[in-house]
Amino acid sequence: MGFDLPLRHSLGIAWTALARNCMQAVLAILGVTIGVGALVASLALGGGAQSALDEQLRAAGANMILVTSGNYQVKREQRMDGGPAHGWLDRGPQPWNTTQHGRVMQAVLMAPADDLLGASATPVRFILAHDESDPMAVHDHPTAAERLGDAEAGLGAAATLTQEDARAIEREIEGIEFVVSGVHENARIFADRPDGEQWYTRLHGTEADLPRVRTGWVLRQGRFLTAGDVAGSAQAMVLGRVVADRLFGPDSDPVGRTVFLWKQPFTIVGVIDSQSWATAPAAGDDQFDAVYVPVTTVARLLNVAKLNTVLVTTRSVGDTTRISGAVTKLLRARHRIAENRPDDFEVRTQAQQLLGKGLPPEVAHVVAGNMRSVDQLTIEQLSSSLTRANRTMVLLLGSVAAVSLLVGGIGVMNLLLLSVTQRTREVGLRVALGARQSDIGLQFLLEAVLLAMLGGVLGTLTGVFAVQVLQQFFRWSAVVSPGIAFVAVVVAALLGIVFGVYPARRAAALLPIDALRHE
Amino acid sequence: MSAISLRGIKKSYQLGENRVEALRGVSLDIGSGEFVTITGPSGSGKSTMMHILGCLDRPSEGEYLLNGRNVSSLSRDELADIRNKEVGFVFQGFNLLPRTTALENVEVPLLYTRPVMPVAERRERAMKALTAMGLADRCDHHPNQLSGGQQQRVAIARALVNEPALILADEPTGNLDTRTSVEVMRILQELRERSGITIVLITHEADIAAYGTRVIAIRDGDIVSDEANEIAAAQPVTVMPVDGG
Repeated sequence: MGFDLPLRHSLGIAWTALARNCMQAVLAILGVTIGVGALVASLALGGGAQSALDEQLRAAGANMILVTSGNYQVKREQRMDGGPAHGWLDRGPQPWNTTQHGRVMQAVLMAPADDLLGASATPVRFILAHDESDPMAVHDHPTAAERLGDAEAGLGAAATLTQEDARAIEREIEGIEFVVSGVHENARIFADRPDGEQWYTRLHGTEADLPRVRTGWVLRQGRFLTAGDVAGSAQAMVLGRVVADRLFGPDSDPVGRTVFLWKQPFTIVGVIDSQSWATAPAAGDDQFDAVYVPVTTVARLLNVAKLNTVLVTTRSVGDTTRISGAVTKLLRARHRIAENRPDDFEVRTQAQQLLGKGLPPEVAHVVAGNMRSVDQLTIEQLSSSLTRANRTMVLLLGSVAAVSLLVGGIGVMNLLLLSVTQRTREVGLRVALGARQSDIGLQFLLEAVLLAMLGGVLGTLTGVFAVQVLQQFFRWSAVVSPGIAFVAVVVAALLGIVFGVYPARRAAALLPIDALRHE
Repeated sequence: MSAISLRGIKKSYQLGENRVEALRGVSLDIGSGEFVTITGPSGSGKSTMMHILGCLDRPSEGEYLLNGRNVSSLSRDELADIRNKEVGFVFQGFNLLPRTTALENVEVPLLYTRPVMPVAERRERAMKALTAMGLADRCDHHPNQLSGGQQQRVAIARALVNEPALILADEPTGNLDTRTSVEVMRILQELRERSGITIVLITHEADIAAYGTRVIAIRDGDIVSDEANEIAAAQPVTVMPVDGG
């Protein structure tokens, strides 16, 4: 059926026909308005609830997966007594030269360089391996016996995680939001001059997307590292708030000043701070007592290709288990690890990390041992059951909308049938004057669509208004997007077509002589 | 070649349990430019004949050639196009669209003309047809603002707007007083003489039938008489006075 009947004329006819049954038309439009309004409200509220849910779980970091190179755990899990756990998670910089009761720490001796080498005045750090031969000694780190062989765990041999691994994860796994590779070192930095004010801190080689993962961050000054900085391995640095305060004084603006790291000048481009006043960053904090430089710069200056971590965030919170599985599979394949060999990396979800954090090492280990189930029971389970609850609500609202739309559609059909009966003679006349069946059918269909679209537009406005009221007075979260308005109008048009087809066919099927005789 | 050629046209209806034979094998030839009036009492089958001639209905049996084309075998869309371009209808009850101006009423057939006619051309042709009926100054009047005679003239303008070769008029004077009836009949006569349009007119009034150049009487679905009307054929038509009546 070609719609070549001049449209303006047809619209005019349709309008006149609607105006003729003004009251009925208003009622039919009201029906569609309510249906479309309910539809808009349910879409907006459903979308709002889901995004609020996602937002909160994401802010909790539930969508984060951390891949670390090396695997310290494999042998641990085989020990029956649990064994001493090690707080490797987010440990932050260790205070050097401290020992705790009965524990042997990695010792770092700061010695004046000229004592040893007789050349530079700069102090040099030595890491002394300590004796692990006493079987009764308790260590705060995995001992050689507990660890996989370094080569086995990928330590000491070729770096287990590379930039290529990070890019492969980003490229090959569906449902990933950001992939941020990281190199983490302890470092000493100097303000302004190579021998200026110094501060021991944590150095993170990272990428430009990090602030989008760390949702709790704000930029106090300047900017974060850009993709350009990373691509060009620029000597740009972002300071954590604690570092900035220590080196340049509280609330100073160090942007544009220089910091020396490994005797190389770095330009400060920004200072990050915690968004929440409640968690004021303190010294030793891994995020704010830290400096950030492009991961490529670390690789260039230290001449290493390895990564310590790859931080992956998923688009959907419920996806972390699947994606961590996919990451493991991908990395095993990339590292050509045989079936019977352990991973040379670790994949952990943020939920696992959070649960392990702040617990006594022994407890943390037990938790870690049961991690899979605990993890799934907590955040993901919570997320998916909340999502299910939300879906139920959307379904409920949606079915209310569907019923209202059905009623609205019946109103449209009723008015159209009335119109066909009233205009039978007119139909006969038009047929006699040369109208085809399709012309007559389309004329009535247009009338139905016009009616439904009027209801659609009014319904969209009503729905948006209702949603605003719910947001304002009941603090419901809702997302009103142009997409919803578009869907609403399309649904209204479809409604007009679906409920207009029958009356239109009836009009088109009228026999001209009967129609002309009709009184 | 005759404009209309009917061969053994039969038409029957099922009315309840009875089968009604409306036409019982009518054969008829109407030449181009004839003014044929068909008379007969109600129920004689003259309306059925009109519907078949106007392609609004199909015969149950028989062959109908319109301008040499066998209409019986055409599709519904093709019939619609024939009604649109080759036949102009004038009805007893005028059948103008209410709440629509005279000009727009005349435009209606052009809306269904294929290929689509541009708005400007539709306007122009409708205006021309109205002017020919002496109603140029009433073009923006609605039907209820026009007299019966004026309404029927608008209807004639509508029938003529697509320049058909055949006008079918079904009791066009049935709703008009005598004076206006005469006026309308003169318009039709003039049309035939000036443009050579074939006219078939149905009436049950003998004095109206007398305007035709050929008068056919139908009774019980059959032609009972078919006579040439020499007087009407020879009579020169006087130019219709344009007045408000």
